[in-house]
Amino acid sequence: MAETTVFKGRAARAEVRVRKRHPFLEDFASTFRAFMSNKIALVGFVIVLIYIGFTIADLTYPYYLGVHNINNINSFNPGGYAAAIPTPPFVLPPSHLKGAPSWWFWLGTTEFQDPILPIMLAALKVDIVYSFIIVGSGLVIGILLGSISGFLGGYVDEVLMRITDIFFSIPSLVLAIAFIYVLAQRGFSGLDSLVFALIVIWWPTYARLTRGVTLSVKNMKFIEASIASGATRLGIVFKHVIPNVLSPSLVQLSLDLGSIVLILAALDFINLPIISPFVPELGRMIYNGEQYLVSGIWWPVTIPGLFLLLFTVSVNLMGDGLRDVLDPKLRG
Amino acid sequence: MELRFYIIRRALILIPTFLGLTVLMFILFSLIPEQLLIAPYLSIHQTLPRAYVVHQATILLGLNLPLPLRYFKYVWNMFHGNLGVMNLPGYPSSVAQAIAISFPNTLQLAIFSTILAVVIAIPLGTYIGARPNSVADQTGRIFSLSGYAMPAFWLGLLLQIGLGRNVIPGNPVGIFPIQGSVPDVAVAPPWFNNGFTYPTHIPIIDALIHQDWSFAYGAFMHLVLPTLTLTYGILAGVLRFVRAGMVDSARQEFVKTARAKGVPEREVIKKHIRKNALIPTITVMGLLLAGLLGGVVVVEEVFDYPGIGLLSVLSATTYQVYGVIGTTLVFGIILMVANLIVDVLYALVDPRIRY
Repeated sequence: MAETTVFKGRAARAEVRVRKRHPFLEDFASTFRAFMSNKIALVGFVIVLIYIGFTIADLTYPYYLGVHNINNINSFNPGGYAAAIPTPPFVLPPSHLKGAPSWWFWLGTTEFQDPILPIMLAALKVDIVYSFIIVGSGLVIGILLGSISGFLGGYVDEVLMRITDIFFSIPSLVLAIAFIYVLAQRGFSGLDSLVFALIVIWWPTYARLTRGVTLSVKNMKFIEASIASGATRLGIVFKHVIPNVLSPSLVQLSLDLGSIVLILAALDFINLPIISPFVPELGRMIYNGEQYLVSGIWWPVTIPGLFLLLFTVSVNLMGDGLRDVLDPKLRG
Repeated sequence: MELRFYIIRRALILIPTFLGLTVLMFILFSLIPEQLLIAPYLSIHQTLPRAYVVHQATILLGLNLPLPLRYFKYVWNMFHGNLGVMNLPGYPSSVAQAIAISFPNTLQLAIFSTILAVVIAIPLGTYIGARPNSVADQTGRIFSLSGYAMPAFWLGLLLQIGLGRNVIPGNPVGIFPIQGSVPDVAVAPPWFNNGFTYPTHIPIIDALIHQDWSFAYGAFMHLVLPTLTLTYGILAGVLRFVRAGMVDSARQEFVKTARAKGVPEREVIKKHIRKNALIPTITVMGLLLAGLLGGVVVVEEVFDYPGIGLLSVLSATTYQVYGVIGTTLVFGIILMVANLIVDVLYALVDPRIRY
């Protein structure tokens, strides 16, 4: 027989404090610990954090690297801070290596003598901010529709799943091109149409995932209990179903951040005339550098590409680790 | 259930999806201002009176009808092979014809890439799946992750630098042409016109039909770099599923039985584990094809390879409305049919599916 211990004083208060911790936080802490134990995923996570840090730095103080001044050869100096940073004595490199990576321009310059590093960081900001907007909106729409359709079932469910079927039957890049084209004809500006098109294309993934999990959650005892206690159906969906079906969508989200950046870059690389060439973007940088490859100028293409690849690989490592923790089916 | 009935039932499911696809395409069309729908007809019939062309196009597209009837008009036109017109140099003015010319090239590229991916992924997946958590496994994991993460256009450009002909002077491995699908020939053979070969439009097969071996070799060399680029992207998906399947079936009871009765380890892996691991792999082929067709757009653009992907990009960059929506529709149809084939294959290898 186990003895029952009666806590008094501080011990009792501590007991209460431990019990009062929200179960979601408890889950989160254990998930985070499991995630941290996976070294490869941790490396990916840290790299993604560094990228996001660059983005936030660029968002809060966009002039710190002189991106606004890219037509000036002396782009180190942000306007108004010219006195603070000494001007590098600019020596022309040999003509065959004009703009190659050097002490002054670590990653080299483009054909117009614009340093690649600040443009790349500005491009990164555009890519990351847009991919967060797209994935976030897609997630919200997908989870709402997916959980409602899975929970209500019947006619609503059937119609919604047929709609997602249609979206899945077209490759997303192709559908994105068509949507961007059409939205641009309706007066959306280039990037607006791009973001809107990708949101329209991306929500079915989450809707389907969420619906699948909702179907399994739907028949559990606690849902029956809340039905018996007289909760409304919508209330149950928001209060009980959605918190329980989030994790597969979150895993998918962490992987999709990379795919969205890849699609954004690909769409800009294709050089749709609708998307402005003046928005710095990694795919656009690669497109601009492509024509100089033949003359041996490799850095405008390879460096933004490596930068993009490092981000997508890290995102995938992170997402993979997250999947191992949250969705052990594929762990193996 | 007999396979025949399963196929029929599975094909019937295509009908609502196809109708949905046409509805989606019609919504896209109806979002476009009417003038822009008529303009392509005006641009290709410049010798005819303007008012006459506008009148004919209005009737053809059903622009004078209410929306539901316009939808039926659209579907009617589609079933009569009338996907609209466009004005792209080198292509016929009919979108349906342009697609018919481009499609075989894309098909050839997709088939080569799929075969290459499967041929590489199955032995490699078997190898690393039989040794989970080893060094080879971790390497394979990184390799497959970088395949997911690789920007296809960038990889294509790198391959062009490294292996492209006449890109870097004096490069001993730079033997592959980086542009187009057919070799440059001084005198074009009679079956080669406007960048497309006849009768099948697949350069290699046409050259073989006409027994022009050097042309066939040249066409094959043109295929190498796009195929490699496309393969790397889809290889990752197959590899991951083969590995997961191997690890999963290695845990089953029949594997223990086989080992217990003294079957050599090689045989166990080859006959017992791998055979069962490959069944679920077929299901991911559908997803893989979606990735493949998305990749086709970018890869064809990078290598200037005249398939539907390039047609789609060219249409979008030159504002050819019918070209954009027509190619999207065709991509949708290809993917639907491909998924049907995958499902039927799955039912063929695994009779449990036919419930």
